[in-house]
Amino acid sequence: MSLSALTKPWAATSYGFLDASAKRELRRKMLKAIAVPGCQMPYASREVPMARGWGTGGLQVTLTLVNPASTIKVIDQGADDGVNAASIRRFISRVSGATETWDTLGASIIQSRHRVPEETLGADQILVLQVPNPEPLRGVEPNMSIARQMHADADYGRLWLTLYEQIVRKGRIMQGAAYPSLVNGRHVMTPSPIPRWDVPKLHMAKHLTFLSAGREKRLHAVPPYTRVEPLVFSDRPYRVEDHADLVCRRSGISGYFMNEIPQDHGGSAFEVSDSNLGIKAIRRAEGEPVEIGATWYQDGEFSA
Amino acid sequence: MAYVATRGGEKAIDQAERLFRQDLGTIDAARVASIQQSMPYLVDRVMGEASLYSEELAALALAQTGGELSEAVLVLRAWRTTQPRLAVAAPVRQDDLLTQRRISAAFKDIPGGQILGPTLDYSHRLLATDVLEGKPYTPPAVEAAATPAPARQPSLADWQRQQGLVAPATEPTIAPDDIPDLTREPLLFPASRAHRLQSLARAETGGVLALGYAAMRGYGNAHPTVNELRLAEAEVVVRHPNGTPFSAGRVRVSQAEVTSKEKGGYLELGFAATFGWNEVKVIAAATLDLNSAEAPVGSPVHEEFYLYHTEPVEASGFCIHFKLPHYVTFQSVLDAMRDAKAKAASAQPAPEAATERQTEPAE
Repeated sequence: MSLSALTKPWAATSYGFLDASAKRELRRKMLKAIAVPGCQMPYASREVPMARGWGTGGLQVTLTLVNPASTIKVIDQGADDGVNAASIRRFISRVSGATETWDTLGASIIQSRHRVPEETLGADQILVLQVPNPEPLRGVEPNMSIARQMHADADYGRLWLTLYEQIVRKGRIMQGAAYPSLVNGRHVMTPSPIPRWDVPKLHMAKHLTFLSAGREKRLHAVPPYTRVEPLVFSDRPYRVEDHADLVCRRSGISGYFMNEIPQDHGGSAFEVSDSNLGIKAIRRAEGEPVEIGATWYQDGEFSA
Repeated sequence: MAYVATRGGEKAIDQAERLFRQDLGTIDAARVASIQQSMPYLVDRVMGEASLYSEELAALALAQTGGELSEAVLVLRAWRTTQPRLAVAAPVRQDDLLTQRRISAAFKDIPGGQILGPTLDYSHRLLATDVLEGKPYTPPAVEAAATPAPARQPSLADWQRQQGLVAPATEPTIAPDDIPDLTREPLLFPASRAHRLQSLARAETGGVLALGYAAMRGYGNAHPTVNELRLAEAEVVVRHPNGTPFSAGRVRVSQAEVTSKEKGGYLELGFAATFGWNEVKVIAAATLDLNSAEAPVGSPVHEEFYLYHTEPVEASGFCIHFKLPHYVTFQSVLDAMRDAKAKAASAQPAPEAATERQTEPAE
């Protein structure tokens, strides 16, 4: 046996950019995160060729999962061609050889910032959410060490109090995106700043979701078939955004989360936020044979 | 396909990067060499914050980012990620350092003497405008002292220990390979001493200065006295696979030790060291270290506060990420706000509300 048989030819970087020790650490932490759903696992978080806060946590998880047979979709605010989504997707495929796609149905790994696609994900798909702030308690306790202790004690009273105060002051819960949710009946997590519209998609889902914050060096997971329950009071039901009746001005579809586009003359127009769903609907309307998958929402009602 | 045609994000990002690079022009080895030679202190600062010692690579990072410091540090850190950890160098002791500058503000004179070395401390900060009028500035030659200062200087803290002024040093029992490595493990709190000092060593100079200055001004309880400040070169001693220790090269290092008051019968010491020569950073960082012990949780001198917020790559990255689109989250906020306003409007008694409305400016 020769030395060259034992080693690989020299390369500037490892496969998938991260070196083996970084991937090993991430795999361990990802497995722990699956084992304790919703619990934040600290990890070293290596620097990657992208600025912190721009999806480096999601990227490290994706780079650990990816292989040459993977098909990756990357979206930002629901759009595949958002500048940062395009940049991340190009980087992943450059360092891994994975196939790129815009189609939710064809993706094995979907890295996303702030949205869960509208088409229902299956058991063979992994959703990787980029997380700016993994700590649902940050608003009531900025100190991470104390917040960690509060999670250990399942001490979420101050979080409940915040929601209660919003009802008292404003007549409703004012939390926009990143709605705090109880995972598997034990840990409160932030689902990353996905809209309230998307949180039910994580509850008892067929797919695995990783939520990774590179800058804050924490990752957590929602394994398949795990309860994800938004924090609500029994007499105040959870309310998603009031988008059920909005119609996309380009594709004509309705009943999905929309982007609001201010108009010159006042008022607003709407476009479907899951941009590839809109593209597929347009293509189908133009007579192309396009497969649109089942969606979590039907006619604006969550039905999974 | 009209939907796609109106966006074109991928082409736009490509051209935006080209615009930035076009302004910088061709980058060649000569430009990198010129930065390395003419801006050693800038190169040092970048190497320190990147926690990667290579003057050439730091100069290259500065060249390709046009001196955008946070970008230069990021590009080096990202390159560092791809490199294996081959060995752990032997610890460097103060009296092993090849010292070029070493001063103490705690005593008029110290064993080994005050060695000023290279500094602008006592210079008049006058802009050399003559250079722009065609008169190059050539620095006058340095006149060597009759007896050169010894290359190695004793540690002042060692003398203080002999006098019983500073607590005896405890030899670490930890094997070198087991020293916690911040680049391979997350920073958790309370941080180990190794993690705290490593984090300060790679902290952003401006950030450490801001928080260190806050501590000096009065938001900390310890006003620092510079016990010892050193600019030096350290041998990087590693072990050859056959067991022989050897020096793999020298690196420029700075270290500061600051003290303030008595605690438990001894002077307390705060310490910081970093790659490269960067006096402001190590004095400020040592001041933060000194103040940590009694710092209230949540104060700027508490370690969780200053270590999180002086991390250059995290701080700058998060700051610039606010340029990314946030329209989904914003939509979610608008939805709750509109609904709350509608609720409030429908709850108001109609006639009085309507009259009042008219007198107010339009929303």
